[in-house]
Parts: sequence; structure tokens; C-alpha cells
Amino acid sequence: MTDPQVAVAMLGIFIFTIMLGFPIAFTLMALGVGFGYYAYFDADRQWRAFNRAVESGADLFTQAETWVGGFLNNRIFDLFVNQTYSVMSNDVLTAVPLFLFMGYIVERANIVDRLFSTLQIAARRVPGSMAVAALITCALFATATGIVGAVVTLMGLLAFPAMLNARYNTSFASGVICAGGTLGILIPPSIMLIVYAATSGVSIVRLYAGALLPGLMLAGLYVVYVIGRAWLNPKIAPRPPRDENAVSGLALVWLLVTSFFPLAVLILSVLGAILFGLATPSEAAAVGAIGGLVLAAAYRALTWQRLQESVYLTVRTSAMVCWLFVGSWTFSSVFSYLGGEKVITDFVTGLDISPIVFLILAQIIIFLLGWPLEWSEIIIIFVPIFLPLLPHFGIDPLFFGILVALNLQTSFLTPPMAMSAYYLKGIAPPFVQLVDIFRGCMPFLSMVILAMILIYVFPEIVYWLPNLVYGR
Amino acid sequence: SAQDTMTLKMQSSWPASDIFQDMAKQYADRVEAMSGGRLKIDLLPAGAVVQAFQVQDAVADGVIDAAHTVTAYWYGKNKAASLFGTGPVFGADAGQILAWIHFGGGKDLYRELVQDILGLNVVGFFALPMPTQPLGWFKEEITSADQMKGLKYRTVGLATDIMQGMGLSVTQLPGGEIVPALERGVIEAFEFNNPTSDSRFGAQDVSKVYMLGSYHQAAEFFEIIVNKDLYDGLDPDLQAILEYGAEAANTANYGLAMDQYSKDLQKLINEDGVNVYRTPQSVMAAQLESWDTVLADLTQDEFFGKVVDSQKAWSERVAFYALTNQADYKLAYEHYFPGKLAF
Amino acid sequence: MEAYIRFADKVSAWFGKAFAWSILVMTFGVGYEVFVRYVLRDPTSWAFDISYMMYGALFMMGGAYTLSRDGHVRGDVVYRLWRPRTQATVELVLYFLFFFPGILALIFSGWKYASRSIGYLEVSVMSPANVPIFQFKLIIVAAGILLFIQGIAQVFRCILCIRRGYWPQAESDVEELETQLIKQHEREILHHGGEAIDIVLPAHHTAGEFTGREEAADRPRGGGTGENR
Ligand code: NA
Ligand code: NA
Repeated sequence: MTDPQVAVAMLGIFIFTIMLGFPIAFTLMALGVGFGYYAYFDADRQWRAFNRAVESGADLFTQAETWVGGFLNNRIFDLFVNQTYSVMSNDVLTAVPLFLFMGYIVERANIVDRLFSTLQIAARRVPGSMAVAALITCALFATATGIVGAVVTLMGLLAFPAMLNARYNTSFASGVICAGGTLGILIPPSIMLIVYAATSGVSIVRLYAGALLPGLMLAGLYVVYVIGRAWLNPKIAPRPPRDENAVSGLALVWLLVTSFFPLAVLILSVLGAILFGLATPSEAAAVGAIGGLVLAAAYRALTWQRLQESVYLTVRTSAMVCWLFVGSWTFSSVFSYLGGEKVITDFVTGLDISPIVFLILAQIIIFLLGWPLEWSEIIIIFVPIFLPLLPHFGIDPLFFGILVALNLQTSFLTPPMAMSAYYLKGIAPPFVQLVDIFRGCMPFLSMVILAMILIYVFPEIVYWLPNLVYGR
Repeated sequence: SAQDTMTLKMQSSWPASDIFQDMAKQYADRVEAMSGGRLKIDLLPAGAVVQAFQVQDAVADGVIDAAHTVTAYWYGKNKAASLFGTGPVFGADAGQILAWIHFGGGKDLYRELVQDILGLNVVGFFALPMPTQPLGWFKEEITSADQMKGLKYRTVGLATDIMQGMGLSVTQLPGGEIVPALERGVIEAFEFNNPTSDSRFGAQDVSKVYMLGSYHQAAEFFEIIVNKDLYDGLDPDLQAILEYGAEAANTANYGLAMDQYSKDLQKLINEDGVNVYRTPQSVMAAQLESWDTVLADLTQDEFFGKVVDSQKAWSERVAFYALTNQADYKLAYEHYFPGKLAF
Repeated sequence: MEAYIRFADKVSAWFGKAFAWSILVMTFGVGYEVFVRYVLRDPTSWAFDISYMMYGALFMMGGAYTLSRDGHVRGDVVYRLWRPRTQATVELVLYFLFFFPGILALIFSGWKYASRSIGYLEVSVMSPANVPIFQFKLIIVAAGILLFIQGIAQVFRCILCIRRGYWPQAESDVEELETQLIKQHEREILHHGGEAIDIVLPAHHTAGEFTGREEAADRPRGGGTGENR
């Protein structure tokens, strides 16, 4: 077997072993180190050292020691350590624990229920008002925390029963919660975009600027869909009785000020700091975390226990994401050392396909990967396979990244690994079947695809803000 | 015994799009041609196997066979490393300091540092006396050293010490964030390397003032390193090809630099509307004073002091000759292209 | 065996949680830098180095803690359909094949890498502040040793599961909000009778359904990483 063939085998074996359920970070590490051992094994060197020992008249023990030592002294181990250090000193990934910490603090600050009830009152004249309020709450809250599971579960306990009580259609209500809760990984500041930036080398601030409008557009499409369906078919989202929500205009304003604005101000200050002039993403994340602490304290939700919980969850989730990088950087540098990257590039460029066909194929592959896998594995492990091909097709990695980020919304909603659906199922009343939830997610999946098409046809949606803010 | 074809994995510290990668390729091509194909170099960009700053460790461990880099990237191991690139200026230019490497004892001092002091399994060669690195990109023309005080500025290596010593607020930012950060005011100025690299970087999109001339990095060159075990095991002719290939690449690199840097400077002026100025004498004088302070501190270290003394003695003699003898090129230029130079 | 598992879990958790607090150092350190840079126009020369060192130490030293709580993401499309005994057998083999060789490399080559750096008291090249980084490289070795200790505990967990047919209960610890809420919710449902049968039954009976929980006794693991989704 030639080296490039070995590289292709390496990728194949990885896709197989991923099914075995062993923690993926260590699977990647093992395959990287294992195949790297092969790539770096130098029989000549082994023999030279051994012969030297024999010639110098060393005793049998020393000869054996030299022989064994030769096997243990493979350079892959140095490469592995080197890559580990590169992950440890990566300046983009520094923002990961900071944003996670901010998210955990905010999610524990008891603000989501106020937010939902206020928005529900504010939106009460709109068809499907509860669904609209739920979507906006999800979008805002998910933006501040970026942690999908927490948003879906909290909203599933809060808004979902409220919608069911108001005789909303079960599937419809489930779809709203699952799709809304997933928005947080797209709308900046998002951990997923940081991870993509670290993988692709695209400036994180440009990515944030590029993702903002597509994210808001997707949220907007969801709202339009919800209002449209509720208007066409009022049975799936009956209007709540009028008297229940009667609140004077002034009281409503006060409710909005206390529930909606602090969170919005936090989000805008973090995003604004990044986009309009003040700070690097890590700095904005630190400021956001301090802001989250202040917010939690203002809502009297900042206890020692909650702080501790947030700190400990931050370390666990950061370790989960970053060890994946340790494994995958070792894996991919061995893959490229063996010439695997070149094989794939040669193969794809040899197909003689047009850029649009390539783009569609790449997105379909990522969409399919989103069924069994989750965003972190896809971005850290599989997206790097596409990245070297982008220059050949003249595709901007920023644009590609936004398409991928949109696409990966679907990975939360498609079985078998549909985390959003599972979170909701976990806390929903027993009569809600997973099938209902999946059915409810389908229309939102088509909104995601519609958003991707819109962005392809009107790339200005991506480029308008980065060009406005950063020029060019 | 004549060896069969051998392929060395060489990784650079440069992105694939940088002109420095083309210069590394010139070295690889020369080695291959001179060895009649017995020695091939598989040249990879930064990040292909290890990150840009990790290449020296990687070569020492044999993770890659060779690397194309600069010494400023590993001067955290010993400050004296910076003297083989980003060092003080005693009057000799980059070409004359490169001559010091070859004929003034620099080569031995470098070997002593890498192999004896740091104990690294590495041999190294040097190529391309880089043209003076510009003071950099600013929001407005710099006319005095005072004007730079408090300016938020980005640079690397010992140059951070120099600029900090001049009262600038030197900030460390990840490479990819420089241009957005300048646009947003996180930094107000930065330097990178030369008109070609700077414009490929996108500097002209965010800044329209380019100050040329500076003492912060006026005598840098590429460092080409090879794993020592591997090098020692090569036939003597192949060893010679790796070593003298650097000397051959030197000429090719210099030609490419002169051609491309000057073209891109014209492009910056004519197509991108960049205003190019020469850094005023007073700023350069302040830089020299700042170097004095930095050196007073660093020469406390015995080896650092030894290298500085050697460079200083060399410069005193060589630059005296060069400066005394040199034709007044500026006079000739103004004679034929009157009014073009604005200083 | 159980005593060792408890010991390893404690050691990993202690180090993981101790280093977790570097998030506060990071938050306020970077916050301070933002303040002095934008308000006082006088940036520090050390904040950048401090921030990546805190980040690196935090996630490296948290690796074993995360492993002890089954927090590393798995590709469990097939895995979660298996019976616990099958899961444990495959996992046991893979610990020896996949886990220990890499972790040993981390310890021994990590030591080679770090000791070289200690030898010349390496400092960061990112700033003029001479921030030392050799101690930071030593974190690689420390994290490797912690993972090694925890890896043995994971092997024991597999052996216990093979013997008993179910996964040993994990220690209670802080959970993701969704996990907390789901557990609370489950308890409430149990109080209210048997209609929640599809939630509390082992997942292989309702294959492909809910996976978002930490392991409970007598049900297989998998999909339950539940982090950052
Ligand atoms: Na999925
Ligand atoms: Na420079």
C-alpha cells in the first residue's frame, strides 16, 4: 500500500470505529498516533541503532534494550505532544471557556420565564402569539447562552406546557421549541463559529459579522412560518382568551424593561464590542461573563452554589470540545503527512465539477453527517477535509462557514442523533411521541434549506455587515 | 555509497499564499536540481504538520526533516536567538550581517547557541538578507517620535521591546485579527514585513499611510534548519548541497524580493491610494536609543553579550568600509528621476 | 475495585475542579486588560499570555474529570443499541487499544518536551514581558498522569459491568441544567404513577428514543454527554 492509500484507509477506519461508541477524542488520538507510528517508522534507523550496539560489543541485555528502545522512540509521539501544545496555546479557542462560562451564568439567572411571559403578552394580538413569543425567547436566550440543551429543556418546561394547555397542536409546538432552541449555535456569539474559526483560520470577528444577518433571517423565517400557519389554520394555534392577558400599556413597558432589556443589553454589548470597535472575541467574552455575573446578581440569582456549578460545567464542556481538537489535530496532521489531503484534493478536482455542484455536494454530505453526528465532530473532524478544496473552486471560506453553520442547525433536529428532540422528549408529557416532535421539526428543516438557498442567491446577506464594518 | 532518491519533509512558518513560501520553494527547487533528483524536498506550508512557531521543536525531534523559518520565532528559548535576525543595528545592513554569519564568526556562535547551549538536534543555514522592514501602517503620517507615544501598535520579537521602550503601547494580537483590529481601533498601527506580504495580508484595505524605513527589524534573514541526525547521515555531497543550496537560494530570493516588493509598492501607491512616506530621522534616532536600553539589560547575559560584541566589532570595520566607499545612490537616482523621492 | 474507582473519581474531580477556577482568573484578568486598554489606554503586556495559559490549563486538567463523568462526546449511534455487557466488553478492549498508548505517549514524550523547555527556562515570544511558559508545558505531563489514573478506573468500571450486567452508578455531581431538570421531572412522573413507562425504561427497549441523560443504574450509557448542545 502506498502512503496515500494508507491515509484513505485511515479515514475509512475512523468512520467505522466512531460507531463503536468510544469517546471520539481518544479514538482520533489513537488513530492519529497509530497511523503516525506507521508513517514515521524507520526500519533503517532501527537497524542502524541495533547494529551499532552489536558492533560496540554491548551485552545481550543492552542489545535488547536498544531494540525495544528503537520501537518506543517513534517520532509520532513528539508530534502528538507538539499538537497538544498547539491546541493549548491556540488564541482563538481561548474564547471557548469564556463564552461557556457566560452562558452557564446566564442560564442560571432565572430570567427565561419572565422573558417568555412578557413577550407572550406583548405578542398577544399576533396569530400563534405563544409560538411567536416562544421563538423570540428561544432566540434571545439561546443567543445569550449558546447552550442548546438548556434552552430546549427550559422552554420545554415553560412554554411547551403553556402551548399545550392553550390547545396548540403538539407537533407544531414541539417544532417551535426544538428549532428555536437550536438558533443559539448560529446567532453570534456562538461557540460553533469560534470552533469553525479555529479550524479554518477565518477571522472570528468577520464570521460573527457574517452570521448575524443569516441568523436573524432564519429566526425571522421561523416567525413568519409560525404566523402564517397559525393564520391559515387557527386550529393548530388557538388565540388565548382575551381577559387573561389584559395588562395596561405602561405595565407592559415596565415588564419589558425588567425582563427583556437587561438580557438584550448584555447580548448587544458583547456583540457590539466585537463588531463595532472595541474588543477581540476573548475580551468580549470576558466582559460578557462579567456582565452575566452582574445580571445574575441583579436578579438575585447569584448564589455560591450556582457560581460553583457554572465553573465546574465550564471546565467539563471546555475539556469535551478542546480534547476533541487534541485528537483531531494529531489525526489530521498524520493524515496530511501521509498525503491523504492531496489524494482527496486530486480526486475532487479531477471530477471536473463546477463550483456550484461542489458546494451542493459538500452541503449534502454535511447534512447527511448531521444525522448520526453532532456539530462539534462535524466541524472539527470533517469540515477540514473540505477546506483545502475551497480555493480550487473559488469559494470564500467565510461564506462556506456560514452555509455550514446554517446547515448544522439540522443536525439537532434529524434522527437518530436529534439532540433537541431528545431534550424535549425528556421533559414532555408522556403522550408526546418522538414521531410528533420530528414531524413538528420538518417544516423548520425546510426553512433552514430555504435560508441556505436565499444566502446562495443573495450573498449580500452574509457580506453586507462585514463589509460595512470592516471594509472591503 | 550513492543514496537512492530521498525526500525531505520541509515545513515553513508561512501561509501558502505568502511570498516567503515562494522563496522556500526556490530553495527546494535548487536542492533538487543540484542533487540530480537524489534529494527532493516536499515543501509544506505552516500548519500542515505543526504550527508556525513549533517548527524548530519539530525538526529537533525529527517530526519534520527540515524547516524554513526565522530565529525570532524561537527566541523565547534564549533571547540571543533574536540576534540572528531581529537584532540591533550598528551600521551594517542585512547583507553585511549575513556576511558576518559566514565570515565573521556568526555561524559558530549560532551553532554554539543551538547545539551546545540549547542542546537541540539541529543544523541551520541562512538565506536572503531581508530589505529593511517598514515601520508599518498608520492612520496618519508619523512626523516625530513624540507622536508615536501611547499609540497602540502591534509587532513581534525583540521589536516589541524596542517599540515599548519608545513609549508605544505594544499589543499582542493573533495574526488573523490584525486587520479587523486596526479597522476597529483596537490597534492604531502595526508592522508586518514588506510591501508584498503586507498587501497580500490586506493592510491597504484598512490603512492608507505606510511608513518605510525603521531600525526595529533592519537585518533579518530566513533560517533553514535540518534535523542533525538526518544531516549527519547524508553523503558529503548531499550535505554540501543542503548547505550551499541556501547560498544559491539567497540570490534567487533577493531577486524575487526586489522585483516583487517594488512592484507591489507601486501598486499600493497607484492602485490602492496608499500614501508612502519615509520614517523621519528623529524617529529612527529614538529607536536607536531604545535599542541602547534594551541592550544594556540583555547584554548582562554572557552569551548574548558575546554575540553583540562580535556583531559590533564586525560592523565597526565592515560598515566603515561600506559606508565610506559606497556611491551616493540617492544622488544618482535624483539626477535621473528628479523630484520622485520625497525625502 | 470500587474503592479505586471512588479514589480516581475523587482525584480527577479535585484537580478538574481546582483548575476550573482559572475561568475566574481568566474572566477578571481579561476584563482588567479591557479596562486598562480602552479606558486608561495603557494595555498590559501579559494579559494575552495569561489568558491562553489559563484556558490551556483549564481544559487539559479537566480532561480526566470529564472522563470520570462520561462527558467526552461519543459517536453512539450503534453503541447505545447494545446491552451494557456488550458495551463494556468493547470499551474494555478499546481502552487498551486506543486509550493507554496515547496517554503514555503524552506522559513520556510530554516529559521530554517539557523538560527541554525547563532546561532553558523558556519564556513566551508573544510579548516583551518575559512570561515563563515552561511550567505551562509541564501541564501536558500532569494531564496525562491524571488521565492514566482515571483510565484505570474506567477499565474497572467496564469489568464491573461485564460481571454484573449493568453500569456502576456514577457519583452525583453538578449536572447540565437539562439533565437536572429531566431528572427532577422523572422523579415527579414516578410519583404520579406508571404512565411514564417510555421514559424510565432502559433505552434499549425504546431504542432510538431518549438519550439525553447521565447513566442511571441498569440502563446503558450513551448519547448522554448532553454538553454544549
Ligand atoms: Na442529527
Ligand atoms: Na516584522
